[in-house]
Amino acid sequence: MQHRIWTSFLLPAVALCVMSWPAAAHHAFGSEFDADRPVILKGKIVKIEWINPHTWIHVEIIKEDGTKEEWMCEGGSPNTLLRRGANKNTFPEGTEIIIDGYQARDHTELRANARNVTFADGRKLFLGSTGTGAPNAEEFSTDKARKVGK
Amino acid sequence: MRSRFLVLLLVLAVAAAAQTAAQKYNPPRMADGHPDLEGTYDAATLTPLERRSGTALVMPKEEAAKLEAQAVAVKQQGDKSIDGDRSAPPKGGDGSPGPAGNVGGYNTGWLDTGSAYTVVDGQVRASIIIDPPDGRAPPLVPGRKAGESAYNFNIVGFLQAAINARPRPTSDQTESSDPGLERTPGAYDDPEARPLGERCLIGFGSTSGPPMLPNYFYNNNHQIVQTKDNVMILTEMVHDARIVRMNAQHLPKNIRLWLGDSVGHWEGDTLVVDTTNFTDKTAFRGASPDLHVIERFTREDAHTLLYRFTIDDPKTWTKPWTGEYSWPESKGPIYEYACHEGNYAMLDILKGARIREKEQAAKNGSK
Repeated sequence: MQHRIWTSFLLPAVALCVMSWPAAAHHAFGSEFDADRPVILKGKIVKIEWINPHTWIHVEIIKEDGTKEEWMCEGGSPNTLLRRGANKNTFPEGTEIIIDGYQARDHTELRANARNVTFADGRKLFLGSTGTGAPNAEEFSTDKARKVGK
Repeated sequence: MRSRFLVLLLVLAVAAAAQTAAQKYNPPRMADGHPDLEGTYDAATLTPLERRSGTALVMPKEEAAKLEAQAVAVKQQGDKSIDGDRSAPPKGGDGSPGPAGNVGGYNTGWLDTGSAYTVVDGQVRASIIIDPPDGRAPPLVPGRKAGESAYNFNIVGFLQAAINARPRPTSDQTESSDPGLERTPGAYDDPEARPLGERCLIGFGSTSGPPMLPNYFYNNNHQIVQTKDNVMILTEMVHDARIVRMNAQHLPKNIRLWLGDSVGHWEGDTLVVDTTNFTDKTAFRGASPDLHVIERFTREDAHTLLYRFTIDDPKTWTKPWTGEYSWPESKGPIYEYACHEGNYAMLDILKGARIREKEQAAKNGSK
């Protein structure tokens, strides 16, 4: 339980070179989350809710004073991941992860958007597909998908 | 009106003739002798609905390969590890462009934007629209605005529009727009002011249509279940199911459905679906409830459907228009969308708006 965990609010702006999808999302992120409340959450997966329209990743963090908090972080629709073969057993309870994002505008809520979700070493939990989204990458490769028509 | 009907007939005849010429594949058949269209299909594609002015319908294969490689590179870049010792993102927002609201979107792992341009008749296509030949939707009827919610002029609609004084969300709207409270008064006043996808009513980007279009984001799968008397078309997002009644008459005009009333028949090996009786709630690209969509589903090979649609709405466009793209097979089943059950975000969005209003009021008060 000695893993180092922190939440940090109101940090001075730090230029981060992280790749986050710049495009749209399912809904109005700007209304839901507060750009002035950046968070970094290091902790263990409590559970992942594989639900629509958004997956919610529950993560338990230990603050510097030793108390625990359970945060809920909003990800994308689970369908894409499930189609690629992820399931409830893929990321077991207790897996150490890091999520960076912004807290909900209602600061009494321990909720944030999951801007980046990585393992402790920075590897992304959820990897993109270069196929058509079908689970069998070889059978439904880019070339195969284009082989329509005559 | 008569000439418009003739134009529509001509457009459909040309579409049918092109399709007939292309039909060489002998598909597996149902017990009734008609082609078996059942399966799950992934409509995601890089091909846009409309293409840039002055560009050709058929894209050189080399150009397509280059653009597809770029799309793959973006995904690979998105998959790369980042610093495990990173700090929180910058206060004031992460500088994300676009409508995600400066707090960032998702890692690319969540997305499935399509990774190939659609191929029809062996041609890589630069647009879904094939008619008009310039690959762009025809001009709007004078006085009509693209994307404008299209009320039939009736007193209820008029009063609603006047009271709300804001454009209502439409079926093809992206669900990400976050114009800010101050710029769109009332857009966050209540759940019904929010886009239809955000409300989990129908998919965003006209995924369920008709016409069924890719949203260039994720969840573009469709499942077809077929019997002699009915064909069911399920759209992944957000569990929209259309029941096509075969060889049936349309419902009376006073019965209106969110996805329209669809009836079908076979022309050779092509399933033709005719949809009318829309409401004023979806308004595809500003269409009126008199929108008329004719879709044609043809099995191209064991793993691919060709989806073609013709749009006609004399109140909105100066002439009918047609698009087509291929749907490669994907593996089912589709995970149940069950969108309302998980829509915690709606509460947080509206709550966030109330907090913003209070903050704004406090600012104004202190001036």
